[in-house]
Amino acid sequence: MRKIKNVLILGLLILTTFSCSEDVMDDINKNVNDPTDVASNLIISDVLTRTAFTITGSDLAFYSSVYIEHNVGVWNQSYNAEIRSGEPTSATTYNNSWNSLYRNLADLKLIINKCSEGGSEEGNYYTLGIAQALNAYTLAILTDLMGDVPWTEALQPGVIFTPKLDKQEALYTQILQNVDDAIENLGKTSVFPSLGAQDFIYNGNKERWLKFAYGLKARYTMRLSHKSPAYADVITYANQSFTSAAEECKYKYNASTTYSPFYRFFTDRDYFGASQSLANKLNERNDPRADIFWKVHPAGSELEFAPNGNPVQVQGRYAISALSVATAPTFLLSYHEIEFLKAEAYVRLNDLTAAETALKNGISAAFQKVNIGLTAEDAETYFNDEVLAKFNADPLKEVMNQKYIAFFEEEAIEAYNDYRRLKAMGNNVITLENPLNNTQFPVRFTYGASDVTTNENVRSAYGDGTYVYSENVWWAGGSR
Amino acid sequence: MLALLVFAGVQVVLAQTTITGTVTSSEDGKGIPGATVLVKGTTVGLTTDMNGQYSINVPANGRILQFSFVGMKTKEVTISNQTVINVVLDPDIMDIEGVVVTALGISRERKSLGYAVQDVGTEELSRTGNNSLLGALQGKVAGVEIKPSSGMPGASSQFQIRGARSFTGNNTPLYVVDGMPIASTPAFSTGNSVTGSDISNRAIDINPADIESIEVLKGQAAGALYGIRASNGVIIITTKSGKNNKVGRPVVSFSHTSSFDQVSRTPDYQTTYAQGTGGNYATSSSMSWGPKIVDLPDDPNHGGNNFGHPGMFRVPQRELAGLDPWVLPAVYNNWDDYFQTGYTMTNNINVSQASNEGNFSLGFSNTDQTGIALNTGMTRYNVRANAERNLNKNFTVGFAANYSTVNIDKLSGANDGSLTGVLAAPSSYNLAGTPYHRPGEPTRQIYYRGGSFDNPYWVPHNNTFNENTNRFFGNAFINYKTQIDESKSLNIRYQAGADTYTTHLQDIFGYGSRGNSRGVIDNYGSTNSIFNSLLTGTFDWKISDDFVFDLMLGNEINHENTKGYTESGQNFNFPGWNHIGNASVVTANESQWANRTVGTFGSASLSWRSTIFLNATGRNDVVSTMPRDNRTFFYPSVGASFVASELNALQEIDWLSFAKVRVSYAEVGQAGTFYENFFVSPTYAGGFWVGNPIQYPIGGISAYIPSYDLYDPNLEPQNTKSTEFGIDLKFFNNRFGIDYTFSKQNITNQIFPVPLAGSTGAGTLVMNGGSVTTDAHEVMLYVTPIQTKDFSWNINVNYTKLTNLVNELAPGVESIFLGGFVTPQVRAGIGNTYPVIYGVSFARDDNGNILVNDNPGAWNHGFPVIGEPDVIGEVSPDFILNGTTSFNYKSVSLSAVFEWKQGGQMYSGSNGLLDLYGMSAVTEDRESTFIYPGVKPDGTPNDIVRGGINDPRAVEQLYANVLSNVDEYYIHDNSFVKLREVALRYKLPKNIYKTATAGISLYARNILVWSALRNLDPETSQGNTNMGGSFERFSMPQTTSYGFTIDVTF
Repeated sequence: MRKIKNVLILGLLILTTFSCSEDVMDDINKNVNDPTDVASNLIISDVLTRTAFTITGSDLAFYSSVYIEHNVGVWNQSYNAEIRSGEPTSATTYNNSWNSLYRNLADLKLIINKCSEGGSEEGNYYTLGIAQALNAYTLAILTDLMGDVPWTEALQPGVIFTPKLDKQEALYTQILQNVDDAIENLGKTSVFPSLGAQDFIYNGNKERWLKFAYGLKARYTMRLSHKSPAYADVITYANQSFTSAAEECKYKYNASTTYSPFYRFFTDRDYFGASQSLANKLNERNDPRADIFWKVHPAGSELEFAPNGNPVQVQGRYAISALSVATAPTFLLSYHEIEFLKAEAYVRLNDLTAAETALKNGISAAFQKVNIGLTAEDAETYFNDEVLAKFNADPLKEVMNQKYIAFFEEEAIEAYNDYRRLKAMGNNVITLENPLNNTQFPVRFTYGASDVTTNENVRSAYGDGTYVYSENVWWAGGSR
Repeated sequence: MLALLVFAGVQVVLAQTTITGTVTSSEDGKGIPGATVLVKGTTVGLTTDMNGQYSINVPANGRILQFSFVGMKTKEVTISNQTVINVVLDPDIMDIEGVVVTALGISRERKSLGYAVQDVGTEELSRTGNNSLLGALQGKVAGVEIKPSSGMPGASSQFQIRGARSFTGNNTPLYVVDGMPIASTPAFSTGNSVTGSDISNRAIDINPADIESIEVLKGQAAGALYGIRASNGVIIITTKSGKNNKVGRPVVSFSHTSSFDQVSRTPDYQTTYAQGTGGNYATSSSMSWGPKIVDLPDDPNHGGNNFGHPGMFRVPQRELAGLDPWVLPAVYNNWDDYFQTGYTMTNNINVSQASNEGNFSLGFSNTDQTGIALNTGMTRYNVRANAERNLNKNFTVGFAANYSTVNIDKLSGANDGSLTGVLAAPSSYNLAGTPYHRPGEPTRQIYYRGGSFDNPYWVPHNNTFNENTNRFFGNAFINYKTQIDESKSLNIRYQAGADTYTTHLQDIFGYGSRGNSRGVIDNYGSTNSIFNSLLTGTFDWKISDDFVFDLMLGNEINHENTKGYTESGQNFNFPGWNHIGNASVVTANESQWANRTVGTFGSASLSWRSTIFLNATGRNDVVSTMPRDNRTFFYPSVGASFVASELNALQEIDWLSFAKVRVSYAEVGQAGTFYENFFVSPTYAGGFWVGNPIQYPIGGISAYIPSYDLYDPNLEPQNTKSTEFGIDLKFFNNRFGIDYTFSKQNITNQIFPVPLAGSTGAGTLVMNGGSVTTDAHEVMLYVTPIQTKDFSWNINVNYTKLTNLVNELAPGVESIFLGGFVTPQVRAGIGNTYPVIYGVSFARDDNGNILVNDNPGAWNHGFPVIGEPDVIGEVSPDFILNGTTSFNYKSVSLSAVFEWKQGGQMYSGSNGLLDLYGMSAVTEDRESTFIYPGVKPDGTPNDIVRGGINDPRAVEQLYANVLSNVDEYYIHDNSFVKLREVALRYKLPKNIYKTATAGISLYARNILVWSALRNLDPETSQGNTNMGGSFERFSMPQTTSYGFTIDVTF
């Protein structure tokens, strides 16, 4: 009996020791379902998708679209944004986008670290350059819409819980630095293979990414025109960017596993009606796109336009966008934007001949967008019959209005940025018709609720949210 | 004792002395007929006659006479040389000298415990044939709150002992069945609980009829020996065995229960107005703000008076169905038309036997339930076996095994609500009588309204919500017992057990579903296995006549493996085959998890003269789910009990039968889940999107990104420090008793996913943060107002008052989301009781009065102003009072269980919707003037008169455009009084055949006596998580059941 007891006790000791050593427990707690690390090419694919679908394509574009009168919000949150009730000042409105922007930046930081000196993929210059360009792009959207935002103390979860805000001026230095770094790295040669099919946009073509980086440099240089105009630089950079729509940076959707965000916004929400003020701009120009932009709502009976700022809150009555098709691409940076940037720069430098050429190229490219489907000839006719006279009368106004129209509807954020910059520069060339704009044009977007509720730095900058009606961002003449 | 009756009449020839006497009751002084008189240590015995008298021949070796009777305390008298022995028996009301099973199967005298335990017996559990264990426990235990989610078969329940300790994690007690810890929580969470269907708790696998008794260990001190798993209390379940049988013949018992279930409450509907808006008939509107139903024939577009069908009106839905669209106006109660009478049948059969070598028990049962809603139901089979055998004087071996298979058909709630149309269909629309699909096109629905809700009559033929679970759990043990010497004994027991189940769930919205036009299918499930090894050694030492010392040491290994899978499909290629093989986009995933807890523990107790008891325990746990080098925790507990009534001085007081003071302190932790940070496949659901607008792989390309949810490598265990104090008193021969317990829990270092600022680049970090305190008062009252030979009346009352307060959350965190929407939602917030409901409030003045608009001419003139989001409701009740009363007269007993819950609030989305849609009775009067109660901006009481003949849309505007946007309006007091159970039982006084006895019971369950909530049963809610019981939105209704049980034992 004593023997049995001894065996039992000994067995127990052995069992205990071997059943709960740290190594055994580590092994038991190992997460076999998810990788703990992956190569940068697998990360950057989703950065591209998220940038296109979530950041450039979705909520920020939907709200910009309302403010810039590309669409009229006729239901629920979009209606509230239209009538400036709650949504423009609430911290929850852009919270999902705010979080996505930072998540993008966090993933890009990871990629940049992997591909930089000391990282596991040191020397992977192409991926590094693409990530740096996308970092500039993401950070610019963030600060263009929200002004001063956390950056130097951001992206350290579990280390810094309440990141401080950086000034927009400093952020723009960072953005332009990123672009320069991207240009440098994309110019190097690397032994790492190209991204290939993991690159949903350019299939690993680094020359195209280089053109994208130059295009961004042109865009952001133009953005700072109110603070530090450099139109000749804009032209120089733009000339090194896209030379045709085939090269532009756009994310395409396959309508099976991926869907265009404006299309899904209609099928899932149905919050938009056709904008009266945009229709007016097309009608003034006898623009052939007026027959293409809109269609009768499936539940409606006629092509009724929604009055800006004052629609009836109703679904199924007003006309809807006909461009919101399942495969409508999201433009990160379009070829027509490059041409319009050049056109504006040439106008500002008073080189109207060059401006006219660039404007014509821009309009032509915009006419040939996949969901518009007009031809170069159509554009030519339109330009000669309608645009030229207006251009001659007021070159800047026509360039900016053509850019504004060409941006319908996927490029609403950039249209919103242009509008605010032009206002700051004293160029009231784009007419918006929402009567509430007298006192309640949102000159910026609120911070995300995830920071407003947990980060006192952002909370104090947010206040009660009404600053969105009064405080311009730095590049539009504001202080923050 | 009853068993001894068979020895009655056995006579022994060698009688020496004859003793006579009378056995009387202390209750009434009358003789007790049929009491057993036994010469102890012999087989000589008999029963008393009609007058309680006896005459017994005591053999030469007879030393003690033992007198016993059912319900009375047994008394022994030493035989010296008397020839007449008269005895008075006292009633045995409370089992105060009873032995209870405590942690890890240790048997202890109840009076020695320094903490509260409460037991529930088989009789109480199965009296009304409830097939759900948690349902059967409702109203019977103090300090416990059980919140059923609905009356759907297999519906989940939330079960908390002394409040919650974890915000987002597990608050469910540990279940231990026959010494083996088993799983009781749902295999899958319902998440935000605003889509899909409920998912049952795994406690549903247990058949209440298989249970012999349940001990509820409420405090941390009681469960401390179970270590980290016991912070939420322990439910110790002992299944039926042959142990209590008398040695000899096998005993077979059979019972059949039939139960008829009806919807417990029908909302009060308005029956005057038709479908439509603005006073006009609108044929596809979800609302009932149309014209009066009687005026429908005058409608300019659809009224028959204008189109040659006088007195009729046109229903376009009938046209779609190929029927004559012209019908006479009528009022339909679409709610009552839809619900059917559910039927539940349960059969139990049990065979058990005891012999000198051991005992066994075999059980088989099946439950077959048809729900009150179409195509809902539950089928369950349980098979059970246990046996014990004494190998020799030292060794005993045994096993217990349980198998169950459960199949549940459910319906969806909230934003996928299957029954939304049943709840709020216009009174003018004949939902039951209008076909639900177009002729020849079964997937094209016909419905009275637009939107994403499906026609409730279409749902059973096209949507599927099913759970199918197979489970085995059981254990085997070997026990070695030896008497070392006169005063010392040693007991060593080793037990190995397993609990394994596989559950398969299927959620299908079929082709033609209005939320997903071509359908969605989700197949998912998991296999969960727990292996448990338990070794305990107990050493008992009677040091002297005064001191007794017990020591226990042991080791436990608990290892769990889980493997889960998901298959999700979208867009069926063609109608009629709602199968993953027909989905045009399919994604699949698989996951495997394991965790292990190794515990080493000990317990020491010392008692003095059965008067003072001291106990200390300690347990060291090593837990795999915590970070390396942070896995080992030690938890102590100490307890003392002082039985004052054992003191000589107090024994003199005859009105005081028992008095005890107890106190205990314990610390118990709760481990978190830690993983090395990992990468995930990106998803794009949420926000504005219905479903997934982006689905990887995209054209064969996958991507992985760092998880948005991170883990703190410095994670520490959550800690609960608990102090408990109690007094137990019994008076007047135990006719009256009161137990009071106060406990205080300080829960610190709570583990939860702390929401991070988005600018950190991550979403949540699983870390320590937050503290909660819980003060609990529990009172148990036992009264036996009447106790005679034939008649007795017992009352047990439980009172519970809990204050569960969130003191602190992680820095920067104001609240934690538990479920619901952005607003309203259920959350934990600093300074609030746990949990609270947060949402859009009414704007109020400084005195808390609702502000109204004073804007003459505006549509909302005189209506409430909508305020900011705020805490709008506190879920936890002020107190819960429940109890049982029973009357026994000879063979008839009548018993009732009632529950009164006072206070606490809930969000009732269905009530809000009924008002918004103009279907509730409060919207019936649309012609009178009214003043909304509130104050004007200048502080004066609202005197703005709205409504009446010149303001015909006022009522509609108030309910549909103002109140429907204020979440606070949806908050209701959740007080109620329910008769949980009423049962009348008749046990046939004579055996029906030889040894066969039989009984019959009639009962009713869940009778709502009074409720502060209008229209719905207050125990109707969404979610199987910590938000349970507080958030209702088109949830399945509750049921009231009536039934009978027949049982036969032979």
